[in-house]
Amino acid sequence: MPSPQGVPGQVVAVAELRWRMFVNGLRTRRGKMELVSRVIVTLAFAFGGFGGLAAAAGFSWYFVSQGKPEFLPALLWPVFFFWQVFPVMATAFTNNPDSSDLLRFPLNYRAYFMIRLAYGFFDPASALGTLALLGILLGVTVARPSLFPWALLVILSFALFNLVLMQTVFAWLERWLAQRRTREILGVVFILFLLSFQLIGPTVQHLERQPRPELRKTFWIAAQVQASLPPGLAADAIGQASKAHYMVGFSSLIFLGSLTWAVGYVLHLRLRRQFQGENLSEVEGRPTGTQVQALQIGWELPIFSASVAAVFEKEVRYLSRSGPMLLTLIMPIFMLLVFRFGAMNAMHQSSIFNRTPDMAFPGAAAYALLVLTNLVYNSFGGDANGMQFFYASPATFRHILLGKNLAFGAILVANTALALIAVTLLYGRPDSAVSVATFAGLLFATPLNFTVGNLLSIYSPKRRDFATFGRQNVSQTTVLASLGVQIVIVAVGVAAFAIARFYRNLWIAALVFLALSAISIPLYLLVLRRLDGIAVERREVLLAELCRA
Amino acid sequence: MHSAPTISTQGLSRRFGDLVAVDSVDLRVYSGQFFGFLGPNGAGKSTTIKMLTGLLAPSSGRIEILGLDLSTHPVEVKRQIGVVPEGMALFGRLTGAEFLSFAGRMYGLDRETAAKRAAELLEFMQLADQPRKLVTDYSHGMQKKLALAAAVIHGPKILFLDEPFEGVDAIAAGTLKAMLQGMISRGATIFLTSHVLEIVERLCSHVAIIHQGRLVAQGSLEELRAGVEAQAPAGGDGEPRPSEKLTLEEIFLRVVGGTRRSEQELSWLG
Repeated sequence: MPSPQGVPGQVVAVAELRWRMFVNGLRTRRGKMELVSRVIVTLAFAFGGFGGLAAAAGFSWYFVSQGKPEFLPALLWPVFFFWQVFPVMATAFTNNPDSSDLLRFPLNYRAYFMIRLAYGFFDPASALGTLALLGILLGVTVARPSLFPWALLVILSFALFNLVLMQTVFAWLERWLAQRRTREILGVVFILFLLSFQLIGPTVQHLERQPRPELRKTFWIAAQVQASLPPGLAADAIGQASKAHYMVGFSSLIFLGSLTWAVGYVLHLRLRRQFQGENLSEVEGRPTGTQVQALQIGWELPIFSASVAAVFEKEVRYLSRSGPMLLTLIMPIFMLLVFRFGAMNAMHQSSIFNRTPDMAFPGAAAYALLVLTNLVYNSFGGDANGMQFFYASPATFRHILLGKNLAFGAILVANTALALIAVTLLYGRPDSAVSVATFAGLLFATPLNFTVGNLLSIYSPKRRDFATFGRQNVSQTTVLASLGVQIVIVAVGVAAFAIARFYRNLWIAALVFLALSAISIPLYLLVLRRLDGIAVERREVLLAELCRA
Repeated sequence: MHSAPTISTQGLSRRFGDLVAVDSVDLRVYSGQFFGFLGPNGAGKSTTIKMLTGLLAPSSGRIEILGLDLSTHPVEVKRQIGVVPEGMALFGRLTGAEFLSFAGRMYGLDRETAAKRAAELLEFMQLADQPRKLVTDYSHGMQKKLALAAAVIHGPKILFLDEPFEGVDAIAAGTLKAMLQGMISRGATIFLTSHVLEIVERLCSHVAIIHQGRLVAQGSLEELRAGVEAQAPAGGDGEPRPSEKLTLEEIFLRVVGGTRRSEQELSWLG
């Protein structure tokens, strides 16, 4: 059978390449372990995904069969938010290979664009979002079988919109975060955004004081606005068709298609530049005169050795120059905002933090630790060829990883402090018992994460580029282990707070966490001491994985 | 009469599955030698240099550096050597000054000394004119110079260089050579691998040739030349006349048995 030529041939070649890479990866024990982990992680996600599918199918069936299709946006908006926000909030789970590696081949732009979209589709967020959309399709079809072709078309259009938008957001964020000037502009926007927190409290109070008709009017306006946005348009396209208003439904679909095209065009502007060989480095112009190189004295960390301080400084400099990492690290603040706005929209009924505001700070702190796992569990990922330096130098790995852990710990402290300020502005100052319990919880959970993270950084490393956003490979073994550790920590945390609330004394939670930290800190130190031997034993795997050209 | 070697290996071997990449190599490198380690592609040069610098574990055999067993005294050995490996071992998102200061402190220098030496090295390597430029934005030649600067910042007694002149222009190569010759004149030992035989011939006092994992020749250039000429006297088709000295390239080709395949053609190519 002749193999396809042209663009299809190239797409087939890329698919074959990915397949060969997968098969060749199975030659090593680590590769087999990756496969097992991938299967388990996929099953875990599938469990959630099929749960979402069932829920979406049930609700959509109910809404359509009961003649209430106007409630369909309540299903499509969460899918939309999940699809767009999850990859940014949980970059540790994002598995999106970098398609720009393919640019060396005579790939035409159309093929490059399609491959980029295809890679995006294999992201967990896309897969889970698609399952939920399939659930909606299933529910609508069971309720009204004649709607199937139309609903399928609408759902496919909506899925395409989500896929294109996700890639657009990633591509443009990466662009804006790549250079100092644009990064500074984004930084100013973010600070303004933080300052606007102060307006949220008064706004909510103002809305609460409004008489019912005024409130209803506000909701009516919000409903009109959402109807002209993609989830609303997709829901309207199905809803109108279910009422036999085909032309109105068709116009909504056309509008959705137009928005997809517009977003796709914005993505095209970015990908076209990448395709043409854009270089987003921060190269300065050639110096016109002699620049004086100031003597750059390194940082000093009291108590710790010079090599620990050097690694600490290197890590902080690396992270401060990585826009994508900075954005990931400020995600806890966004999460608080999402919950707060959610509370506003549903008049304080839906937000967990609004019902139990004392849990807002522990929640934000836990999330601050969660986003850090992205770094902690793959500490050497960004070092690439620098890994050879670590092995060639006389510094021990316990010192190298201690320096890295201290840098991550400093970021966690800063992030937690920022979260405390945000919680105070949004929900009021947390109770002192809650604050102490939260810090005690971090004292237990952070060393535990560092312990497992240090081991996985050596056992299951993956090279990563701090300059790109989203286009990263992740180790499935790491994802699985990280998931397990987080489940344990969250379970312990919830249990501790539940017991404390049951006895109406939150100081109990603080005591439980302090007792647990008496286990996790010595465990961390014990494992840290053994890292030198493990790193030497694993040097070939580490160097082969991280120092590839 | 030589004193104890600064680098010595006994029965050094490395296997990757069924492939024996390095097979019972016995090397002797003495203090003050500029030692060139040559071999065709895939002969085992990089594998050997990785084992000598602790980047790869040998399957069997023993490595002694400055009289210390590398397997039992890795940290003490690493303190006294400098390495520029194949991948250059750079941290791309630091500036040149930050990287050198970092390297100095990792090798145990205090902050002030590391910073001072970093500034001097950047000046010497002509890398000081763009202080805010990140290493990732350096050209290949600039990166080579920076990697060499990082390898010498602590004043090592032995310097291991894997292909230091690959992709380096004549000006940068001149800077590197000047630095290396300065180190040799002060008593350091340099062990380098290179494909550029002219450079090795000009710089190195001693050479070893590895072929298919086995050491096939070792000694000073004169010793190698004498050995090759004794086996097959020069003359014949295209060979130098007896009055001319064999070049290192000719010695190399005779030792590894290489031929130029100019008669082969790829008919479909241009």
